[in-house]
Amino acid sequence: MCSVEEGDTDVPFSKSRPNESIGRTCMKCQEKAILITRVNDAFCRSCFMVYITHKFRATVGKTKLVRDGEMVLVALSGGPSSSALLHLIQEGLSERTHKKLRFRPGLIFIDEGAAVNLPSSERLNTCEKMLEIMKSTGFPCHIKALEQGLDNDNIQEFSSPPDICCPGSRLEKELGTIDYDTESILSDISTATSSVTLDMSECSISSSIEEPYGNSREAIAVSSMSRVESSFQKYEEAEEKLKCLLKSLNSVSSQEDLIRTIRHKILSEVATTCGYSKVMLGSCGTRLAVTLLTDMAIGRGGQAAVDTVFADRRYKNVMFLRPLREFSSKEIGMYNALNDVESVFIPTLTTKGSDGASIEHLTEAFVTGLQRDYPSTVSNIMRTGEKLSTGAEEENKENCAMCQSSLDTNVIAPSALNAVEFSQRISSRGDNSDSKRDHCNKTGECCGEGDGSCNSTRTRATKQQVLASLCYGCRLAIRKLDDVEKLPLYVLKDVFWRVRREKMKSEIEEFLLDTS
Amino acid sequence: MPLACGLCDKQAILKRPKTGDALCKECFFLAFEEEVHQTITDASLFIKGETVAIGASGGKDSTVLAYVMKILNERYDYNLNLVLLSIDEGITGYRDDSLESVKRNEIQYGLPLKIVSYEELYGWTMDAIVKQIGLKNNCTFCGVFRRQALDRGALMLKVDKIVTGHNADDVAETVIMNVLRGDIGRLRRCTAITTGTDGALPRCKPFKYTYEKEIVMYAYFRKLDYFSTECIYSPNAYRGFARAYIKDLEKIRPSAIIDIIHSGESLSVKKEVKMPVQGVCVRCGYISSNTVCKACIMLEGLNKGLPRLGIGKTHKERLKMAEQIGEKEDSSINSQNLKSCVSDHFRPKSNSTSFEKNQLDSFWVQISQSGQSCCKSNTVGCSCQRSVVCKDVTAGIQSSVEQQKINSSVIDF
Repeated sequence: MCSVEEGDTDVPFSKSRPNESIGRTCMKCQEKAILITRVNDAFCRSCFMVYITHKFRATVGKTKLVRDGEMVLVALSGGPSSSALLHLIQEGLSERTHKKLRFRPGLIFIDEGAAVNLPSSERLNTCEKMLEIMKSTGFPCHIKALEQGLDNDNIQEFSSPPDICCPGSRLEKELGTIDYDTESILSDISTATSSVTLDMSECSISSSIEEPYGNSREAIAVSSMSRVESSFQKYEEAEEKLKCLLKSLNSVSSQEDLIRTIRHKILSEVATTCGYSKVMLGSCGTRLAVTLLTDMAIGRGGQAAVDTVFADRRYKNVMFLRPLREFSSKEIGMYNALNDVESVFIPTLTTKGSDGASIEHLTEAFVTGLQRDYPSTVSNIMRTGEKLSTGAEEENKENCAMCQSSLDTNVIAPSALNAVEFSQRISSRGDNSDSKRDHCNKTGECCGEGDGSCNSTRTRATKQQVLASLCYGCRLAIRKLDDVEKLPLYVLKDVFWRVRREKMKSEIEEFLLDTS
Repeated sequence: MPLACGLCDKQAILKRPKTGDALCKECFFLAFEEEVHQTITDASLFIKGETVAIGASGGKDSTVLAYVMKILNERYDYNLNLVLLSIDEGITGYRDDSLESVKRNEIQYGLPLKIVSYEELYGWTMDAIVKQIGLKNNCTFCGVFRRQALDRGALMLKVDKIVTGHNADDVAETVIMNVLRGDIGRLRRCTAITTGTDGALPRCKPFKYTYEKEIVMYAYFRKLDYFSTECIYSPNAYRGFARAYIKDLEKIRPSAIIDIIHSGESLSVKKEVKMPVQGVCVRCGYISSNTVCKACIMLEGLNKGLPRLGIGKTHKERLKMAEQIGEKEDSSINSQNLKSCVSDHFRPKSNSTSFEKNQLDSFWVQISQSGQSCCKSNTVGCSCQRSVVCKDVTAGIQSSVEQQKINSSVIDF
């Protein structure tokens, strides 16, 4: 049947005709224009710079969230957007600026080479380039590797990825500088955090679960050489663990999703330990539109708003800011070209992949393709996002153990979640593996609520225990995972904490009054 | 090696697109029907003894829906009185053929059938409309008219509810469409399994969680008779993009369709965002978010030889239209029948009449209240009224003529 509906009448307008670009004058000052930004706005160089700078400062300024002297961690990926962000911040802080920016930036780069199976020489090369860029700014800088996100204790440490730590490396000298920088900040804040956990064997997964808060962690100050060696070993283990985890997810879309989650975890963790109260992300409007639509497609609709809003308050002590959300990727590209801002090419999971390589990749191709013919696409999507609630006003809501957004799995009967679970149940009864899944589904239904049946005395987390603590999107991401022990340690700790809470609650349940 | 069915030991003949499980024919039928039953009971779609119209187009969704509804009604004793309801848009070579298949269903399933046509409701067939407007925006007319036609047909049959064959793919597609268009009101409404509970006839979608692929599979293995030709008039191009995106997503991750519906269900709209208020069309009494509903505007346009009147958002274009009508009917402006748009009526007076912006709202209330009784043949292009009046108002204020309170008597009906 024809699926045209009543609402279909208002569709965005397609681009009418190519705009004349030769001989145009700037719409502000009537000088010769050098570029056209959106729709038909021609600018000369200086007016364009004013326009971009103003837009950036207005985005940051109008919320009044960044206070004077506040420490802000700027996340760099090496890509055009974050490079532009760094440049805008540098410009804003320079002496000649009329109204100086007042916050104190620190820089962070997360090396995700392990996820793409890059050879260590290439990862070293990338880190070297990034370090050079970061060092040239004079801001304190941090380099982390994605595998450090698997274990909180790893994040809290300052040593850089193994490839850089590798003795004899060209970067060895510079490494000292990074450590110095970071440590000098840290010593200001807390001397305790600047000490380093050395003995990895004591921090193995099982022992960490028994001592979830790591109180008995030995803090030993060591010489830099032995540190390098031990961390080298540690990273190799972590790298293997990460590769193993990603491999068992069995889908590029899930891998991308998990990498995003871990990346955010590392950022919030570094920010907390190093005393930053804000993290700035370089995502531009085009990227955020892709993110919003991708979120819809991977069952994260409830998080779409929080993933694209200017101030993301999902994490407890750290606020994520997106100061470039009003910029299109085109504007970023033009800004970078005019200012000779360099970006570093870093391959991702879907680099050189076809459109169907992953959901995010497909969505990107879809949005940018539509944007070409319907120039209002990105702003339409962002406008939708702005009308959605971020759920910030609702307090005491339970969060996902993995991505920290509020749980969306506690739904009433006629819902997609229940429909899926029913489908799985009804089309796979009978054989052994399926009855297990059947059980899993039942506990899935009680998710969040918990009737005590999920409790187990074993120290290993069961898949249903983990699933019950996750949001719909994270469940989807780890659906194919064979062994939940492969998950990042912080997730497992959180799951155990919840299981214990449930147990406690079930013990005292009969004395609890119904407050609702 | 033949794969065994996951539920019995027979040989499996298909892999479910929704879950990936291998099933035999009988087990698939059972799973498919049980899922629809589960949806119906979970959402308590029906009450015993109700009369339910099945919107039947002759296509796969509605054919399978009619079949499954009949089976479940008997199996689970819903005690529903089922009827088929078809809309004849008047498209030669498409709808006449598909209606043949609905008529066959009428006999095969033993369900009474009612056909209502655009021609009897509106006086226009789609063929005639296409002659007027061409192939560019014809689908807009069809979509707007169909919704009303189904309701009117259902009222004639005195049914309690309408069920439509919208499947999970359709719902997911609509979610994506509404995100792309920034239409927050529809985005919030489109995932509801039952709509129109306030006042009008409730409509529900028992196939909301059913994959299109599985519907085809079901029809194929049940050997159901359905009509599967695309409409001869070009489909809405923009919706086509969303559709292609959904299909591509499904290839990457089959659960994506349900995942999008979950996303749509878990969206919450900011409290401060204003939602369009659903009112009633002053002309035909059908629910509408404007004073006069879209169908009435479009119909008026067709009858006046201005078919583009209800199409698009461009105020410029509508303004031009309204002006044209205004010029045409300038002479009759003070006559008994206010034929042209109220805004046009005001334009010549804007120099002498000015009023404060805050009086506008009360003005509009008056218009819509008096509209019920007085505006019998008024309001051409009335959906643009607001913008036009505002323009005139500002112009009027600028010219700073003395202020004059607007009351309904000023409007010369």
